[in-house]
Amino acid sequence: MEESWKTYRSEGFFDESMTPKGNPRAAANQAIKFLHSLSPDELASRRVAAELAIKEMGISFTVYTEGGNIDRAWPFDFIPRIITAREWSQLSLGLLQRMRALNCFIDDIYNEQKILADGSVPAEIVLDSNNYLEPCAGVKPAFGVWAHVCGSDIVRDHKGQFFVLEDNLRVPSGVSYMIENREITKRVLPELFENYSILPLDDYPLKLYQTLAALSPRARRRPNIVVLTPGIYNAAYFEHAYLAHGMGAELVEGSDLFVGEDDCVYMRSVDGPTRVDVIYRRINEDFMDPEAFREDSVVGVPGLIRSWKAGRVAIANAPGAGVADDKVIYAFVPDMIQYYLKEKPLVKNVPTYLCMREKDRDYVLSNLDKLVVKPANESGGYGIMVGPHSTKETHKKFARLIEKNPRNYIAQPTLSLSTAPTYVDGSIQPRHLDLRPFILQSKDSWVTPGGLTRVALQKGSLVVNSSQGGGSKDTWIVEGDS
Amino acid sequence: MSRYLERTEDTARIVSAYNHLIMDLPKGAEPGWDIMVQILDAEPYFHQRFRSVNEQNVLKLLVADDGASCSIPYSIEAARENVRTTRDVLPEETWELVNELSLFVREVAPNSVGRRNRHAFLAEVISRCQTINGLMASTLTRDHAYSFIKVGRLLECADMATRMVDVGAGDILDRDGSTSAFDPLLWGAMLQARSAGSAYRRQVGPLVDRNAVVNFVFLDTAFPRSVKFCMQGIGQELGRLANHDEPLRAVGRVWRRLNRLTKEDMTQAELHAFIDDFQQQLNQLHTAIEEAWFRVASA
Repeated sequence: MEESWKTYRSEGFFDESMTPKGNPRAAANQAIKFLHSLSPDELASRRVAAELAIKEMGISFTVYTEGGNIDRAWPFDFIPRIITAREWSQLSLGLLQRMRALNCFIDDIYNEQKILADGSVPAEIVLDSNNYLEPCAGVKPAFGVWAHVCGSDIVRDHKGQFFVLEDNLRVPSGVSYMIENREITKRVLPELFENYSILPLDDYPLKLYQTLAALSPRARRRPNIVVLTPGIYNAAYFEHAYLAHGMGAELVEGSDLFVGEDDCVYMRSVDGPTRVDVIYRRINEDFMDPEAFREDSVVGVPGLIRSWKAGRVAIANAPGAGVADDKVIYAFVPDMIQYYLKEKPLVKNVPTYLCMREKDRDYVLSNLDKLVVKPANESGGYGIMVGPHSTKETHKKFARLIEKNPRNYIAQPTLSLSTAPTYVDGSIQPRHLDLRPFILQSKDSWVTPGGLTRVALQKGSLVVNSSQGGGSKDTWIVEGDS
Repeated sequence: MSRYLERTEDTARIVSAYNHLIMDLPKGAEPGWDIMVQILDAEPYFHQRFRSVNEQNVLKLLVADDGASCSIPYSIEAARENVRTTRDVLPEETWELVNELSLFVREVAPNSVGRRNRHAFLAEVISRCQTINGLMASTLTRDHAYSFIKVGRLLECADMATRMVDVGAGDILDRDGSTSAFDPLLWGAMLQARSAGSAYRRQVGPLVDRNAVVNFVFLDTAFPRSVKFCMQGIGQELGRLANHDEPLRAVGRVWRRLNRLTKEDMTQAELHAFIDDFQQQLNQLHTAIEEAWFRVASA
């Protein structure tokens, strides 16, 4: 593969493994040396091996299309992304800090609303939001923590600096793929591990279990934890089953649970009803309980919220946590860190224009061709406009949307996302990527060493979502500058 | 035959779990490669054959050395030889499957010492052993042949479990405090090597620590590869055979010993002494079975 490594350049972007002059960075040196030594045939065979491993391991995700749901094999690039432990430790401290502040915020919003009274965050954007759930007001969950599992999307700019792009506080997914990616690499490129000390990933299910177990309303050696899934046709069902298996917990659907007259939640089992202590819910909050939220929900459990408010069951993430999962609220996270923790943010936000502010809106409307415009409340990359890659028509369409509902739109500068070497069409080429680490918080808090790296497989593309042609990579946090 | 087959599978599982483990541990925190040689009780042979303990040599021994009684090729050849001489009582396909496995190992093992092909080779060996076990479980008449096959497999399974716990626990305890953060990974690897990961998580939970793992591997009553479960099965099968008095008494002794494994915290020395003693009892059981059914009376 002499050729494609020699000509490898990622111009104008920060490349995670290679310097601008085309030499490997220190941490990536050994890995690239090894990859370099493989012949084109050998590289191709590793790729085939990776595809085979993914099929054999049954790693799939579901894409919803008009023609029905399709289970697709997980798209994976076998060249790992390598980050040094030094760089990582700074970022992980920043993520923990952020999570603490976000939980302070949610707890405040549903209780005293100090931050709104002080005017640090405008009250209307919180209280008028669809994500603010009135029935949750006054609840005091254990440790003051509402969001127990958070997946934050991280990007690096042209200088290699880390930025948080968004925080997913409702039902963040992807962690099982992160663990499986490591497993595939172990099978496909076992030689690569010989010269590295890489932080292990597969204790995530244990950490999740400990995070959840600490929430149990009953003091028991082994609380009864269940994973609540919307069902076998959900896009992330693979992950729900994976985590239940990893925690030794039951995987249940709404119909497997009921709330008894004592307001406790019970699971139907062969031996009769069993009381449930903690629910790790992977269904959206509005579907959780037809009594409290959407009446038409068939996947929820009637009375669940009643039981939760009575303190008879813990729910993670707590209903209502989504109030902080809004791209307008996101813009205020650095202020929250100052406000609640009296600390300086350790990891930065991407500069964000709020269309609800007149000055910002004027700027956005006259710079649509340079900005990325996002709706405040969508996920999965839907409803986004990437200005420089869009037509005039689309610009006009978004201008109308923004004017009609300014609260619902934000804009950010188009980022020069970092790149890493990726095996495409038989050669090594730079491709853009992001990173989703997962942060856990209850009694203690913890960040995954690394996270799920998503990579845009199309040349020049910035869209990393697996539902839209993105792939993924194993992410290595390596100790020492091997 | 079944003992050799079980040994093959267990060895493949140990190597596979260890192989997995070393990629998760930082340099310097991993147990030495010789831990597998210790578990398989092959130190004298190893040192006769190789000068230094390293990945290449240990794997050569276990995966490709057909002269070492602990190696995969040796066990398979021994199993094949057993089947060749007892074909009359086994389901037809047994001979063919064992033969194919032997051919596969002879052909592929030499190229599976390196990391590149190791995983696929071990996975294939394990899966073929399970196929043969499955064939016998579903087609072999429940006659004497079945009883002995089952007893052989369970005896080997129990023996291997005790050796793994002994050597594994010793190794984990020998480490200084600095690497103790990785203890759960090490115990997890041990469960993996017993294919007990999922069963343990469902039964005990995802927290792995020494006492819970030792208890599970020895005493769990529902997991089919626990020592207790194995001994139960051996007792049942032997009870169905004529002339079972002596062997059953030996089973009884093993069983009582097992029940004396206290749930409280044992020191490493106590655990080691217990396992040592327990293994002797297992050997006595093996001898009792041999004397009752396999030794031609001389006189």
